[in-house]
Amino acid sequence: MTMQDVADFFTSSIVHKWIIEQFWIFPLCETLHFIGLSFMFGSLLVIDCRVLGLAKFISMKEAMKFIPVAIIAFSVNLITGYFFMTSDPNNYIYNYGFQWKMVMIVIAGINALWFWLGEHKQLLTLADGEEAPFRAKVIALISILVWITVIILGRMIPYTDS
Amino acid sequence: MIMDLLLWYENGPVGVFERESLWGYPAILTSHAIGMATVLGVAFTLCMRVLGFAKGISIQAFDKLFVMGWIGFFINLVSGILLFSGSASTYFFQWTFQLKIGAILFGGVMLKVVMNSVRANNSELTQKFFAALCMTSWLVGVITGRLMAYITAS
Repeated sequence: MTMQDVADFFTSSIVHKWIIEQFWIFPLCETLHFIGLSFMFGSLLVIDCRVLGLAKFISMKEAMKFIPVAIIAFSVNLITGYFFMTSDPNNYIYNYGFQWKMVMIVIAGINALWFWLGEHKQLLTLADGEEAPFRAKVIALISILVWITVIILGRMIPYTDS
Repeated sequence: MIMDLLLWYENGPVGVFERESLWGYPAILTSHAIGMATVLGVAFTLCMRVLGFAKGISIQAFDKLFVMGWIGFFINLVSGILLFSGSASTYFFQWTFQLKIGAILFGGVMLKVVMNSVRANNSELTQKFFAALCMTSWLVGVITGRLMAYITAS
C-alpha cells in the first residue's frame, strides 16, 4: 500500500464529500480543535507541573483527576484532526509538518503509556507535597516538551508543504 | 485619524516584516497558539475546579498556576500585536476581531472576579456563576479568533 493509496482511500470516503460540500464543517472543526487543545494542554499542565514539583501544593490524587479530561479533549482533537486530513488528504499526507506532528503524537502516546503503566499507581500513594520519583519527572518533562512541539508542528502545517 | 494610525502601523517595519518575511508570520502564529493553550489551559482548569471538578484542589492554589497563565498571556499579547500589524486596517473593523478582544478582556476581568469571589467566600452558586461566565467568555474568544479567518465582514 502506497501513500497515494491511503490518500485515495480518504478522498473516496463520504466524509470527504461532506466536508467539501458543507462550508461550515471545516471552521467548526478548527474551533473545536483549538478548544480541545486548550483543555488538553491545561489538564497536562496541572498533572505534569505537579509531578515535576512545580505545583506541589496540588494533591497528586486530585491532579490525576484531570487525566480523563485530557483523554476526552484528545479524542475531540483526534476526530477533528481526522476531518482535516479527510478534507484534503493529498495535502496532509505528503506534508512534512503533518508527518512529524503524527510522529510526535505517537511519542506522546508511548510516553503516556509509560506514565500510566509504570508510574501512575505509585504516584497516587504520594502524600501531599511529597516529591515524585525522578523517572516520573522525566516522563512529565517529556510530555510538556512533546506537546509543545505538537502545537508548533500543527501550526506549521500550512507552511511545510512538500 | 484611527485609519491613519492603523495604516501607519500596517505599513511600518513591523507590518512589512510580518507580511514579507518567510518565517515571520508562521513563527508569530505558532507562539500565539502556544500562548493560547497556556492561558486557556489555566483559565479552563480553574473554572472547572470552581464549577465543582477535582474538589480536593484548593482554589487558592491556582494563584500560583496564574504565573504560567501570565506568561502565556504575555506571549499572546506580543504575538497578537505583531499579528495585528499584518492587516491592522482590516482586522480593526471586523466584528469577529472586536468580539474576540472584548471576550478576552472580559475573560481576564472575570478570572479576577472569580478569585475575589472565592476569597470573599461568596455563596457556591455565585462562585459557579462567575466561573461559568468566565469560561464562556474565553470560549467566545477562541471561537471568534478562529472565525476571523472565515468571516471578514465588518
